[in-house]
Order: sequence, then structure tokens, then C-alpha cells
Amino acid sequence: MLKALAGGLFLGLAPGRKPAIKVATLAALIGLWFLLTTVTGAVTGGRFPSPAEFWTSLVQINTRGYAGAGLVSHALHSVKLVAMGFLVAIATGVPLGLWMGWSRKVEALVNPVFLIIRPIPPLAWIPLAILWLGLGDAAKIMVIWFSAFVPSVINAFTGVRNIDRPVIEAARMLGTPRWRLISEVIAPAASPMIFTGLRLSLQASWTTLVAAELVGALVGVGFVLNMAQQDIYPGMILVGMLTVGLLGWGTTVLLGMAERRALAWNIAARD
Amino acid sequence: MGSISFSHVDKIFGPQGSGVKALDNINLDIADREFVAIVGPSGCGKTTCLRMVAGFEAASAGEVKVNGKTVTAPGPDRAVVFQQFALFPWKTVRENIDLGLRNKNLPLAERDGLISSALKLMSLESHADAFPHQLSGGMQQRVAIARAYVLDPEVLLMDEPFGALDAQTRVVMQEELVRLARRNPRTVLFITHAVEEAVYLADRVAIMTRRPGRIKEVLDIRSIREAEGWDRHPKIEDVMDLESFVHLRTHIWKTLREEKDFQHV
Ligand SMILES: Nc1ncnc2c1ncn2[C@@H]1O[C@H](COP(=O)(O)OP(=O)(O)OP(=O)(O)O)[C@@H](O)[C@H]1O
Ligand SMILES: [Mg+2]
Repeated sequence: MLKALAGGLFLGLAPGRKPAIKVATLAALIGLWFLLTTVTGAVTGGRFPSPAEFWTSLVQINTRGYAGAGLVSHALHSVKLVAMGFLVAIATGVPLGLWMGWSRKVEALVNPVFLIIRPIPPLAWIPLAILWLGLGDAAKIMVIWFSAFVPSVINAFTGVRNIDRPVIEAARMLGTPRWRLISEVIAPAASPMIFTGLRLSLQASWTTLVAAELVGALVGVGFVLNMAQQDIYPGMILVGMLTVGLLGWGTTVLLGMAERRALAWNIAARD
Repeated sequence: MGSISFSHVDKIFGPQGSGVKALDNINLDIADREFVAIVGPSGCGKTTCLRMVAGFEAASAGEVKVNGKTVTAPGPDRAVVFQQFALFPWKTVRENIDLGLRNKNLPLAERDGLISSALKLMSLESHADAFPHQLSGGMQQRVAIARAYVLDPEVLLMDEPFGALDAQTRVVMQEELVRLARRNPRTVLFITHAVEEAVYLADRVAIMTRRPGRIKEVLDIRSIREAEGWDRHPKIEDVMDLESFVHLRTHIWKTLREEKDFQHV
């Protein structure tokens, strides 16, 4: 399992045919960074940290801690919130999307609500969520849920609507009872679209989490960013940014692995 | 126990009154265990006839009955083999065939036995655990036929089942179907564009007019097949050389040709 995980992470780092070019680009970026900050001093430390400053911040947060905790605690807390918000969102969103796709009645019932709620950017819910639930975890999970919910619903819905009619007719001709039709025919047939929705939901979850933690939090990567900004501490800001990027990328890779496994039949069929 | 009857069946697509009339007063009685093929120009309503028996489409007027009961919904007593196979791509061959049996709540041991014999019948034993996309078109169509046959349906509905196959595979499948039909006769409604296929396989051939589709003529093939001893020839090409076969085929060709010519006037 761990081996598979490591393999997946590595694949995520260097997929495609030209890993050499990617490594070269990365090296050039780091070289440019070093050149602009440390060598020439074109960018001052007050605007963007030098590699050395970044390293110092990274060591500090890992040894003495920053914003009340070490980097691992902050990161774990953020991952926990994203995971919970994301899971609640897909556990509610995907079934609703499937149901709306299956039944025109349910679609007609739910669509008006969607039309009102969809144009509201998920981040606009943050103030209300904090008002209702305070600065704790519950408010953040709620906002993540709201933001990750919509892509899950829409893609599951579209997935069902795009199913080839003969496939459903074949299942009905075979006398498939309703619940089995949903679990063994509708859901798998829609699963490529469902996974598209999950990927968008995951992205939305991270965006929303960082925003929510920036506005009000006591722990988490967004909180680190917020504190570092108040302390005018560019090195720590960069640590926070890269941590969020790394975490978002890691969870996306995990989801990609789950997708490859679940859609083996489909990926193979597309090749 | 597997009879089909169309009586005064009309089908109008779209809003009543202003819609497209696809079928006009279809009357056809198919006896239990009879194999009837329908041929007709493209768009004349062949698929629509079959879909009404399957329960996917309701008649606008008249009645479609199976075993004397008006069809209201699809069900495993009327298995369908679709032109585009319509297999479940996420299920293996075995799982595709198994679904209908599980829906009947048969015990595992019985299902295993039925699946094994269906796989054997269709020469698919070595592909039981393959996914549909790993199979050729001919094999996929054999899975679709196995999936229908394993239910032991009273009625088998086949909509141009060999239309997507190459000529060689098609011939093999036709011979296989004849073998099946002789061993375990079912009521079959079979739609095809290929006149030879219809004459070779069917007990009777119904010829339809262009749209709105009507039954123009029904030919009795069976009595000629038996009188001329077609079944003594195991190969389709030998049957197709017989004078009686050629005569029937040419007659159907001419009848269809009249429909086509009509269209261009
Ligand atoms: N769902 C539908 N809505 C509207 N019109 C339809 C529908 N299904 C079929 N038709 C029309 O009804 C007519 C008969 O269609 P059908 O598919 O039964 O023809 P067919 O004989 O099977 O043709 P082909 O040989 O090309 O398969 C066609 O003109 C078609 O356009
Ligand atoms: Mg058709």
C-alpha cells in the first residue's frame, strides 16, 4: 500500500514523456529565485523571501513552532477539515445528482433552489457560517461542504443524463430491480463524470479551506498564512503557500489513484 | 406459451395529431416457437415494432400482446439483443450474463451452471473474466446473445444483431443461431436488412412498406425449407445456392425494390 502510494506520488511528480524538461524547469526556477533575491538583491527580503530565509522559516515552524503549533499539526488539522468537508459534500452531492439525473420530478423540484444558490460564490458563505458556528471547525466544514457540493451534484447529474439509453434498457429488460439498477448500472455508467465532479470538489475544498482559515481560525495552514502576514514574515508566508500547494497536490494524486482503480474498465476502454 | 400478436397497431411519434406516423395498422401473429424475420426499407418502423414488444414503447392505437397479455413494461420473459450490443462495460462477461439470473434470485450454484453452459454454447469459456472492451465485435455480440439466452426467455427479440459484424463473423453467427434455434426453439422476432439472412434463419419473413410502415407481405419459408430439405446442408453457402432459396430471395428483393423505387417518384 505504502509502496503504491509512493509510486503514485512519484508518478504525479514526473508524469508524461519528458521528465527531464520538468526537472530542468524546476531547477531554472529555483536558480532564478536565488539570482533575484540573494545574488543581485533585485527583490528585497521584505517583498519575497530568499531561499535562506525560506529555509530558516521552515526550520523554525518545525522546531519551535509558529502560530501556536508545528507545521505538521497545522497541516494535519487542515487536511482533516478538507477531508471531512469533502466527504460530507460528496456523500450528499453525488446521490442527489444521481437522483436528479434519474428523475425529472426531483430535478424540477431541486433546480430552482440551485438556480438561486449557484451564483453565490462559496466564499460568500464564510461570514454567515462564522456567525452561526463560530471560529471552530464546524463553520469551516460547513463552508467546504457548500463549495464542494455543487460540482459533485452537477457532474453526477450530467453523468446520468448522458448514459446511453440502450444500456439502461438492457438492464430493465433483464428485470433489474430499482436499487440494483442504481448501484450496478446508473452509478457505474455515470462514474467517469462523477469522478470529474470529485476532482472539482476537491479543488473547491482546498480553496475554501484556506479562505475560511484566513478569515478566522486558531490553527491550520490558512491561519499560519494569516499570522505570517500580520507579522510581515515573507519566509513563513512562502512556507504556508507551498504547504497548501503540496497538500492539495497530494490529495489530488490520491483521488487520481482511486479513480484509476475504480474506472479501470473505462480507462482501458479509452486507450 | 411465447406467442406475439400485433393487432391494428399504429405508432405516432411526437404530439398526437401532428406527429410522425411510423407504423400504420400492423397486424401480425407469431406463434409460439416460431422464428419470424422482419425486413423493410430503412426508417419503416422495424425497430419500433420490436421495441413495442419489448415494452420500451407504447402503441398509439391497437394492441401488442405477448401470450395474450397486453405488453406494459419490459421484462426478462422478452429478452432483447440490441444492435449495438448494449453490454455493461464495467462488468466482466460472466457478470454481464449473471445480472439477469441474479435478478431472478436464483441460487449461486444454479447460476454458475447456467452461465457455464451459456459460455460454452457461445464458445466464450476462455473469456469469462474479460471486460467487453477486450473482446472483438463478434464476441461482444455472442455475450449479448448469451445474456439473453441464459434467461430462457419465452420470446427473443433481436434487432439487426449481426449488423455491426464483418461478413465472415456474420456467417458464423448465423449458423450458430440456427444451431441454437434447432436445439432449443424459442419464439424469435428478428429484424434485419439482409434478405439472405432473413430467408436462411426465419420460418416466416414479413416484408414492410416504407414509412408509414405497413406489413406488405408475409412469406412462409418453413414449408419450403422442409420440402426442399435445407437443413441437410450444414453450411449457409450451400443453402444459398439452392434454387428454392434463390427464388425466395429474389422475390423479397423485388418486393423491397418496389418500395425503394416508390420513394424516388
Ligand atoms: N423516439 C422517436 N421519436 C421520434 N421519431 C422516432 C422515434 N423513434 C423512431 N422514430 C421514427 O420512426 C420511424 C421508424 O423508426 P425505426 O427506428 O423503427 O425504423 P427502422 O425500420 O428500424 O429503421 P432502420 O432500418 O434504419 O433501423 C423513423 O422515421 C424514425 O425517424
Ligand atoms: Mg432499426
